[in-house]
Amino acid sequence: MATQFNTYTEGEAAPLRDRVMANPRPAAVWVGVAAVLFGLQAGAVVQFLAALLVDAVAALPGITVPAGVAALDRAADAVPTLLSRETIPNRGYYDGGGYVGTFLGLSPDLAWLLRVTLIYAYSFAALAWVWVGYERYRTHYRIADWTPRDDVIDRFRGHKWGLFGVVVVAMFFVMVLFAPALSPTTTAANLENPYQHEVTYWADGETRTVTVGQANLGSQSQGTPQENVGPMQYDDYGRIHPFGTLPSGKDLFTFIAHGSRISLIIGLVSVGLSVSIAVVLALMTAYYKGKIDLGAVLVSDAVMGMPQLLLLIMLSVILSGTWVGKIYSGAFVLALIFAGTGWPAMWRSFRGPALQVSNREWVDAAKSFGQTPGTIMRKHMLPYITGYVLVYGSMTLGGAIIAIAGLSFLGLGVNPPTPEWGRAVNAGQDYVTTASWHISLIPGILITLVVTGFNALGDGVRDAIDPESDAEDQGGASGRGGGA
Amino acid sequence: MNRLKYIVKRVLMSVPVLWLGTSMTWFIIYQGPVDPAANLLSGNERLTEAKYEAARTELGLDQPPVQHYVDWMWNLFTLDLGQTWLVYTGSNVGALVLDFLPRTVWLGFWSVLIAICIGVPLGFYAGIRSNTVADYIASVSGIVWRAMPNFWLAVILLALLVGSEPLFGFDWDTFLVDLPSGVTGNPGLSYMAGDPLALFTQPGETLAAIKKILPAALVLGSASMGNEMRIGRTAVLETKNEQYVDFARARGVSGRAIVWKHVFRNALVPLVPVITTEAFLLIGGSVLVESVFGINGMGKLFFDAAIQGDLPLVGSLMFVFIVLMLVINIAQDILYTLIDPRVGYDGA
Repeated sequence: MATQFNTYTEGEAAPLRDRVMANPRPAAVWVGVAAVLFGLQAGAVVQFLAALLVDAVAALPGITVPAGVAALDRAADAVPTLLSRETIPNRGYYDGGGYVGTFLGLSPDLAWLLRVTLIYAYSFAALAWVWVGYERYRTHYRIADWTPRDDVIDRFRGHKWGLFGVVVVAMFFVMVLFAPALSPTTTAANLENPYQHEVTYWADGETRTVTVGQANLGSQSQGTPQENVGPMQYDDYGRIHPFGTLPSGKDLFTFIAHGSRISLIIGLVSVGLSVSIAVVLALMTAYYKGKIDLGAVLVSDAVMGMPQLLLLIMLSVILSGTWVGKIYSGAFVLALIFAGTGWPAMWRSFRGPALQVSNREWVDAAKSFGQTPGTIMRKHMLPYITGYVLVYGSMTLGGAIIAIAGLSFLGLGVNPPTPEWGRAVNAGQDYVTTASWHISLIPGILITLVVTGFNALGDGVRDAIDPESDAEDQGGASGRGGGA
Repeated sequence: MNRLKYIVKRVLMSVPVLWLGTSMTWFIIYQGPVDPAANLLSGNERLTEAKYEAARTELGLDQPPVQHYVDWMWNLFTLDLGQTWLVYTGSNVGALVLDFLPRTVWLGFWSVLIAICIGVPLGFYAGIRSNTVADYIASVSGIVWRAMPNFWLAVILLALLVGSEPLFGFDWDTFLVDLPSGVTGNPGLSYMAGDPLALFTQPGETLAAIKKILPAALVLGSASMGNEMRIGRTAVLETKNEQYVDFARARGVSGRAIVWKHVFRNALVPLVPVITTEAFLLIGGSVLVESVFGINGMGKLFFDAAIQGDLPLVGSLMFVFIVLMLVINIAQDILYTLIDPRVGYDGA
């Protein structure tokens, strides 16, 4: 424990390595746990990176995936991991006496539930491990007993609503990361090539084999109790559907789990881009003021003068035929459009705080010392608006997810067969009050939950950074995607 | 005088915004990657050079871009919106807009009214009884209500109302006022044609039109309702702790008088810009809500134009939307100065 008060800074102190050497136990335990956690999932990490590489190559127009890259992906697939479909399979069949091919002969629903529970338990253990690491660093190795950031973190820890947001957002991220392992079936079999995969099932006292496409035709959810596979039900082919099936007979859970990936990627790319534009512009306008500020006001007013959703529709229609519109099933161009239409509102929110900071005496002092404008903006102004960036970023991410789902609902967003939540809502439109209520209801509830989670996270961060401020109240609509 | 100056300045400020927005629209449509002339021709026509050239001449695309830009802008600013090509082929866009706009205005009016009538009182209620169970329930439901996607809410509400007989024991179609065409479709506003007073003289028709728009308005107003609730709650909380409220209390003013005279009036001020931002939500969101509820309003018209690729119509409609937004914004800025005279004569 660093009990004595020291005034020297981090740079002047003994290096972190020496401090760890002086008291190695907490760090060693922590690293040991890390090794175990990582070891269980090493294959998945390799596989995730390989899949990312394949996706990135495939996203480029006019290039087929080179054989070497594809082979790397397959090799990575072969590494055993704890939390994969292969380790705890749920795709077995009943052979009259018991289940064949499922984990320990469990019924498919139990096997699937076990896998989902393990994945979430593992993920939360990993999160807890990160938190413990921070706490150990803070109590055992950090020189300062207290920093202003500690107060922020302690305030956040006591913020129940914010913690709820963290839990929801974490669960969403786990769904995104582990989408292939969480799904009861694969996208290849479910969405892309159903007629090239087979399913074995038990009927009339014998096992039979049929293609997935054929089986899907027999397990459609189309409203009547006879033609419906609801949540946690088996279809006639012995397959478990945790969220039921789509009207086409495809598995809704697989659709949603993989759809979450595209929502998050579009959301992150678009919010990241619009935040960067907004921050740079806010710093520039706050520092130089005058004509630059006026010009930015006019341009942002003009962009905001066009309703965002209409602009999104117009641009996605116009850009859909171009090569940009084809990258990643049209998701990339959506992210670009969203960033291009979203920055003005954000810039407006950052402009006020940035202007306040630019009038402080330390900025004048820095100027008189001859520091360059770039340095002043980066070192003396940026830290004071990062809080707002986090708050607005988190809230806009929710808005982006809603807006993109809205566009897909209209048939404009991401191109089929790439799954997107809005498209599931659209598919189930006619069945809401029938036996197949799950098709529209479940994706909608999930969108609401995820967006609420991101908003709660934003609220928590805002209250933690500055309990007095009411940043969000200035532009009440920041959490919505242009009215979608 | 000061106020008049502010208003004039505010209107003048919107001119460059209108010009910039319209120019951007022109650039996206006519200089973008899509050829509007080719887009307007169907499969066979696209092959004939003559038809294509005729379409280009009709759209003025054979002119140099600058000339086309000037012509296009001049036509819009003189309110000559041209003809449609694919959507309601050959109709006059101006007439089409006049035909479709009332439904969207009707929808927007009721959604703002519903949002204010539910959101503000609920927010004030939660603020006055802060940190009670009632407050938590109101606040959380407001936040969740706000996070619900409009299109999904519309789908669910529509399904519930269509199947209202077995679910709730009464039939929405015949409840209070008979709606022969069901939940979806246009509100019947034609009885008011040429006689706006019919709104009051024919209450039966008015009631039917209100009932028809109510579900769509509830959905469209849902996001703003949540916002108004939040802001209303915060405003009351802040006002409640002001010194003049303590002072009034110390002087023995009754609790009821404090709430009505001191807290409410001042808490209303921060709610005005919230209503301003609603304009954005309303116009944008009307596309989704109108297409789910089958209302032939401006949003539906824009959406049809966009998916059918009638780009000239998309451009004209975008111009109308920009004008609409600017008018609403100016109106609300003026409203703001009327409510709170301290606000921004020299800012903005």
